[in-house]
Formats: sequence, structure tokens, C-alpha cells
Amino acid sequence: MSKQIITLNVNGERQEIAVEPRWTLLYTVREALRLTGSKEGCGTGDCGACSMIVDGRLVTSCLMLAAQADGTEVTTIEGLAPSPVAGADGRLHPVQQAFIDTGAVQCGFCIPGMIMAAKTLLDANPNPTLDDVRLGLAGNLCRCTGYTKIYEAVLSAADRMR
Amino acid sequence: MAKETITRQEYRVVGKAVTRIDAAGKVTGKTVYADDMHLPRLLHAKLVMAPYAHARIKSIDSAKARRLPGVEAVVTAADLPPHRKNPSNRREVLLAEDEVLFYGQPVAAVLASDPHVAEEARDLVRVEYEELPPVVDPVAAMAEDSPLARSPVSEVDRTEEKGHIATGVEQREEQGKPSNIASEMSFKRGDLEEGFAGADAVVEGTWWSGMVHQSYIEPHVTIADYDATGELSIWTSTQAPFYIRDEVSEILEIPETKVRVTATEVGGGFGGKIFLYETLVAALAMVVRRPVKLTMSRKEDILAATPAPQAVVELKTGMKADGTLTALQARLIYDSGAFPGAPMLPGCLIIGGYYKCANLGIQGYEVLTNKVSVGALRAPGAHNATFAIESAVDMMARKLGLDPLEVRLKNAVEKGDPLPSGQPYPAIGLKECLQAISETAVWNERRDSRKHPNRPDGHPPARGVGLAVGGWLGGLQPASATVGLNGDGTINVIVGAADITGTNTSFAQIAAEELNVPMSMVNVTTGDTKTAPYAGMSAGSKTTFTVGRAVKLAADEARRQILEIAGHRLETAPDDLEMKDGVVRIKGSTDKTLTFGRIGHMSTGFAARYAPVVGTGTITARRQAPGFTVQIAEVEVDPDTGEVTLLRYAIAQDAGFAINPLSVEGQMQGGASQGLGIALSEEMVYDDKGRLLNPNFLDYRLPTTRDLPPIEAIIVEVPSEDGPYGARIVGEPSIVAGAAVIANAVADAAGVRVYDAPITPERVLRAMGKIKE
Repeated sequence: MSKQIITLNVNGERQEIAVEPRWTLLYTVREALRLTGSKEGCGTGDCGACSMIVDGRLVTSCLMLAAQADGTEVTTIEGLAPSPVAGADGRLHPVQQAFIDTGAVQCGFCIPGMIMAAKTLLDANPNPTLDDVRLGLAGNLCRCTGYTKIYEAVLSAADRMR
Repeated sequence: MAKETITRQEYRVVGKAVTRIDAAGKVTGKTVYADDMHLPRLLHAKLVMAPYAHARIKSIDSAKARRLPGVEAVVTAADLPPHRKNPSNRREVLLAEDEVLFYGQPVAAVLASDPHVAEEARDLVRVEYEELPPVVDPVAAMAEDSPLARSPVSEVDRTEEKGHIATGVEQREEQGKPSNIASEMSFKRGDLEEGFAGADAVVEGTWWSGMVHQSYIEPHVTIADYDATGELSIWTSTQAPFYIRDEVSEILEIPETKVRVTATEVGGGFGGKIFLYETLVAALAMVVRRPVKLTMSRKEDILAATPAPQAVVELKTGMKADGTLTALQARLIYDSGAFPGAPMLPGCLIIGGYYKCANLGIQGYEVLTNKVSVGALRAPGAHNATFAIESAVDMMARKLGLDPLEVRLKNAVEKGDPLPSGQPYPAIGLKECLQAISETAVWNERRDSRKHPNRPDGHPPARGVGLAVGGWLGGLQPASATVGLNGDGTINVIVGAADITGTNTSFAQIAAEELNVPMSMVNVTTGDTKTAPYAGMSAGSKTTFTVGRAVKLAADEARRQILEIAGHRLETAPDDLEMKDGVVRIKGSTDKTLTFGRIGHMSTGFAARYAPVVGTGTITARRQAPGFTVQIAEVEVDPDTGEVTLLRYAIAQDAGFAINPLSVEGQMQGGASQGLGIALSEEMVYDDKGRLLNPNFLDYRLPTTRDLPPIEAIIVEVPSEDGPYGARIVGEPSIVAGAAVIANAVADAAGVRVYDAPITPERVLRAMGKIKE
């Protein structure tokens, strides 16, 4: 299938990528850029595991074609920590650290999308209530945690970011 | 309360809430799951799936698909390498050969280097079918004149089920006249007639619970490669690497030493990631002699993995006015789908396993239909049975004007009480869980819930509170582990168990505890089946219970070896030494010391004087450590829409000893949420032709953040006899109670009893008589 060149700014790096018309943004980022942190859990926009931030908006990247994203700024889970040496103390985004500290991470498959949704929520609303958190994460399914510790993580992250 | 029987002060690391050792990789997107892996010359497989529940394959025309540029091969059953075939065993039916037995059954595989090309070619494969009558309803399928779902089963392989639960009971395969009943079993105790005659209240009902899917967020992914030396490598998202090795080896007739299975990070399993298409993908790799990856789409996964069965449970129970349970008669029908393997046996044990009851009669049936065959889902079979017994107990209590919690306390099983099979319980904590729930705010404010100001004028939404018991017996399998000292004094733990729940974090705690070092000095690795010490499947809630014991023994042995070297070096008896934070010293002395780093160097360096420190721990587990839970909900029922809103939820569960309370709470909350999905929204809906109508996450509805309030988790600790530090099974019991909790809460709020789960708005309105047919 013939390809077209698109330009994406992914996690601060400009990328020119030859994409097929049928490639989704998720497929392109995972396969062409080998940034595999974003996950495909359903391919139909129902689970949120593929969530990325595109031009400041939370997007289920399995539903966005790569060609539609031409010229956009994309942030994936790999672009969230301020330092590429993730895991060392103080080098994670407060949301990431809060997810670790509260035990909100189990199998981890939903976590990249969940964290992107949480970041988007906190950017828009730095002082969320529990209900705000429950509304803000409603597009992201987690099967392991029952969400309780995820609520704690997001509320704790809000504290840390204040 | 048993909570106080453990003195945590005596431990340094175990019993403390610690964060997971693998969490940093997961929050940064760096953890590698199977679908994130690439191999050189990798081919992607897509499956051609049957569009009928029951049909004969007349012909397969793959010419057009093969001609599509980029397609490497189209493989049908006829093209597969020679392998063992038992039509009764789904694992040996790699592709449908003649007869299609369920909607979505794989019929052919298309291989291409580009997954989109493989998908396009898949749709070009033409299969001609002759439709056969589908058998969909398990109860109708039991009738003598029912059409058969398939040819009768024989030599059924039940090894997988035994990984989930150890029962000491065999079920009978049906022999003789062809029938859809694959197997049946029964338990009897006392005299039922006498039991019912002595009852002051008798309750009778039929409870139905729908087919549900594990719905791990990561669909199944498997990669296989067959190299020039005849070695088969499999990377797969599985809970059971050694089990897959054994089965693949047997089916493809390759020695176990030539099969390497690597369990990749599991993006959720819950019993659904034991063994699925690993043999098929391996066989495809053998056909094309290139690595092959199968990544299932969500739709394919819901259609053709191993979901959990629907069940029909007929139950009659009797109780005396003082609350004594006098008789329990049950008939449980599990819909197995197109192959045997339904969890009828655990259901039969559980339904009569919560309460002392002198008179029991329990019958179980495993029925074949033309649906995808079922597998395990967290305490397989238990939730279906629990929905019935825990609803019935509430109904009897209500009839007799008794308190539902007191009635349960009065009859609850304790150590020494028999299961329906006669096997006595070891130490268990059901009563302690009931007591813990009696102290929750939800329970103590239950009368206020009912008086909620929303219904002063008799116009609800009405609020109410309900509770229920859940339990699981747990699996048993041998386990082993090694604990080694590195040259720099750090500790390596190697196990063969896939870490699906944070078990490797607990193993790091155990090794750190035994060697008296901080956890940061310990690293835990799950090896592959060629390098790791053997462990059973990570199923049956037994990983910490069994592998944890092996790690503890291995750490103790490593400790002994370290002390022996240090004793020799410091010219003193090992008994006179102590170790802390990686330093060995003569007790009471400050100058006679030796660091782990020094000992590591002396046992690994060039011309080293001492042999390396490698402790090995091996165990076999013969006695279970059953886990009980009691859960309570406050709900609001909207009388106009039938919608049930969950307001508050609490779970108490006996963990024996919570090695990592943070992950124990996570298991309790996560399992409870899955039970609530079963209770409120999850159901695989089939039409009368056996076609699944909702294979996606929009129509198959998992609980979302909008549905679930925070879940209060109360850890109860009644030590088990055999688990490390008294730990018992944790993962599974939490899923079991949900449907009964919600049914009881709805009854309390709205005064109506719902017998079908999920308890959807429609079913609530039916129970209220607001929908009639």
C-alpha cells in the first residue's frame, strides 16, 4: 500500500514518518517509532490503554489515523518523566511516582493510558475531588485494582503537584 | 480477633507494605509485554474464525489470499505438522478440521510480515460450511432427545483444572449412551428428608449466572520460533510456563528439554491466561520455519479464548427457628461449551462448603454446548454456586426474622469441619471475617441506610445493605527456588513462577527477611522453563503459599552457607555469628566482621577459596490454606429505571499473614471489583444460533470508575499451618461474593429478589413486576 510522509512532534522530537492510510496513530508510534509504552487493549476506543495527549487533548490513539495526526504534538507515556533515566528518585512525573507509592500498579497494562488520563485531568483541575477523579478516568478501564488505589494515586499526585 | 495473634514486631521486612519492584517499568511504559517484542523475520498470524456455532467444513479455498502480495502462507489443519490429536481436548484441536464446534473457532491461519496484510488476506480465505443444528441452552441440552453438540468426549484431560484447585475428588465421565452431559458428580451426607422435616423455614429457588470473560486488558499474545537445531522457543503472556512446556512437548512430540517457554509480563490473566494458542503458534512456526506472532484483537479474544461458564443452580435449603441450617439440596449445571473443562467440581464443594450442615445432597453436571469452551476465572465456578447459597441464607434469615450476619456466624465452618467431600478444613478464618464486617460503618449504619431521606414519601430510590460470604480452597503444586550470593554481596532469587500479582516483590521480602538485609539488596527473576527451578502455574492462589515457602527455604540455606564461610574465616562456630544489613559479625563483637561483598568475592573470584553460595529450596504442598471473604454493600435502587448504584463497599478477607499488605489489599479490591462486574453488568450474550452478540468492551460492560466507589479492604489474619509466616491463599476469594452481596442489598433496599446475574436494570424491573411478558 502506498505511503505518505507525515510529521509528528513526539515527546519533543520531530519525526518524519512514512505511513499507510490505514495506520492508526497508536500503530505508528508503536511500530514505526518503537515507542511501545502505549498499549492496544481493545482497538475500539473503549479501554483507554492507548491514551496519548495530542495537541493538549487526551486521545484514544487506536481511533486516530496517523494521517489525521499530521503536524501535531504528541505526548506518550515515554515523554512524561522529566528525565530519560526513569525510576531513579525524583526523576518521575509526580503522577507516576504517586501510582507507585499507593500500590496503584498491578499488571500495568492499563497504567500508561491511565497515567496520561490522570495527567490531563490534573492539568485541567489541580484540586479534584474524588468524584472529579472518578469522572475524569471514566474512559480508562483497569481490571486489576478495582480503581481504589488509582483514586488514591491521583488525589495524592494532586497534593504533590500543588 | 485473630488480627492480634501475629506480632509483627518480630519481622523486619515481611508484613510491611512495600511498593512493587516492577512498578517503575510499568509507570514509564518501559516494561516489555509480548506484543512489544520483535524478532528478525517475524511473521504475523491472523486467524480465520468460523461464523457458525456448529457446522461441517466442506472446503477451504485460500488461493486468493495466497496471491495477496506479502502473504507468506495460509495454513489449515491439513498443513499442520504431525501432532497428537484428541478431539475431546481443545488444546489438541489446533484448527478445526472437519466439524466446527463454536462460533469463532479458528479454522485457518494466515501468515504475513505485515499484520495489516495478514488481516486483509484473512478476509480473502473462502470457507464453505454446511450448517448443523447448534446446541445453545445447557438445560435443554441435558434432555435425552436433545441434538448432540458434538461427538461424545472421552479421555478428558483435566490437568489444567487441577492447577487451580486441589480436591482429592474425581468426577465421572459419562459413558454409554451419547449425551451432551460430559461428566457428573454427587456428594451426600446425612438424610435430606429428615433435614427438611426439622426445618422451620425452607427456601427454594433457581439461580442463573451468565457467561463472563476474564477481560484482562492485554489480549492474548504468543510468539514462537523453531530453530535449525529443532529447539522451540515460545514467548507468551501466560500464568503457566511449565504447564505450557509440558503440553506443547507432548502434543508436538518434542522433548521438554527442547522447549523453552518464557512467560512475558502478563497484562492481566485472572485464570484466563493458562494455555490457549501456544501450540498452534508453535506449529505455525514449524511450518514456515520463521518466528510467528499471534496478537489477538479484543473481539477475537472475547470470541475464542476461555471465558467463565454460565451456570444454573437449583437450591433448596432448610433452617430451624434458632438459625441452625438443617438441610441443603443442590443441583448445579455448568455450561462447558464445546469441550469439557467446566469448574463443576469446585462449585459443588463451595455450595456446601461455607456452613455446617448435617444433611447434604449435591449433584453437579458439566454440559457440552456449541459455545467457546470455558476455562478458569479467579476461583472458577465458585461465584455461580455462591450466588445461590448466599442468597438463600439471607432469604431464610429474613423468613425467620433473624439477623443475616448472626445466622452466618452461627453456621460458619471452622477448622476440622468437613467439606462436602468429607475432607476436613485446616485452619480457616471465616468467622473472623464475619466479625470484621460486623465492625464496619456500612454494617453499623444499615438501619440509617434504609431510612435514607430519599424515600420519606414512599417514593424511593431506596437504599439498602447486603452482605455475603465467599471462599476458595486453593491449588497445590510443588515449587522450587534458588537464592544466590553475588560477588558484590547482593542477592539473586530465581523462581519459575510467572509474577501476576506482585509475588516477586513478596519473594524479595522473604529473602530479605531471612538474610536480614534491606529489600534493595535483593533481586528476583522469573526464569524461563530451561533455566528456572520448577514451579507450578500461577493459578489457584498458590504462588506465595508454595513458591514463597521454597524461597524461604532457599534463603535459609544461603544463610547457612554464608555463615559457614564466615565462621571459617573468622575462626568461630557459625552459631556464634549474626548477620545484619549484609554484614556478618561475631555476636557482640564490632571488629570481627565480614561483609556479604567480601564473602561473595571469596566464593566467586579467581582461585576463590570457597564454593559459591547458592541455596536451593524445594517443597511439595499437600495441605491447602483456604481463604474466606465477607463483603458488604450499600446500594441505591432506582424504582423507575431499575438501576443499582453502588454507594459503599467493604471487604474483609483472611490472608493468614499479609506478607505485603499493600498488594493483599490490591488483590482484595481488584477481585471484589470483578465480582461486582459479574453482579451488575458483565454477560456474554449469545443468540439462539450460538453467535456471540457482544464481543467488545462497549457492549460487554466492565465496571468503570463511574460504577465503583472506593472499596474498603480489611485484612484478617488467621495463620495457615503451612504458608510462609502463616500466609494463605489471597488472589481468588475476593471475586466470589459479589453477585450475592448485590442481590441481598437489592432485596434489602427494594424488597425484591433477583435470581439472575448480572443484576441489570431490566432484571430488577422484572423482579419488581414492572416489566411483564
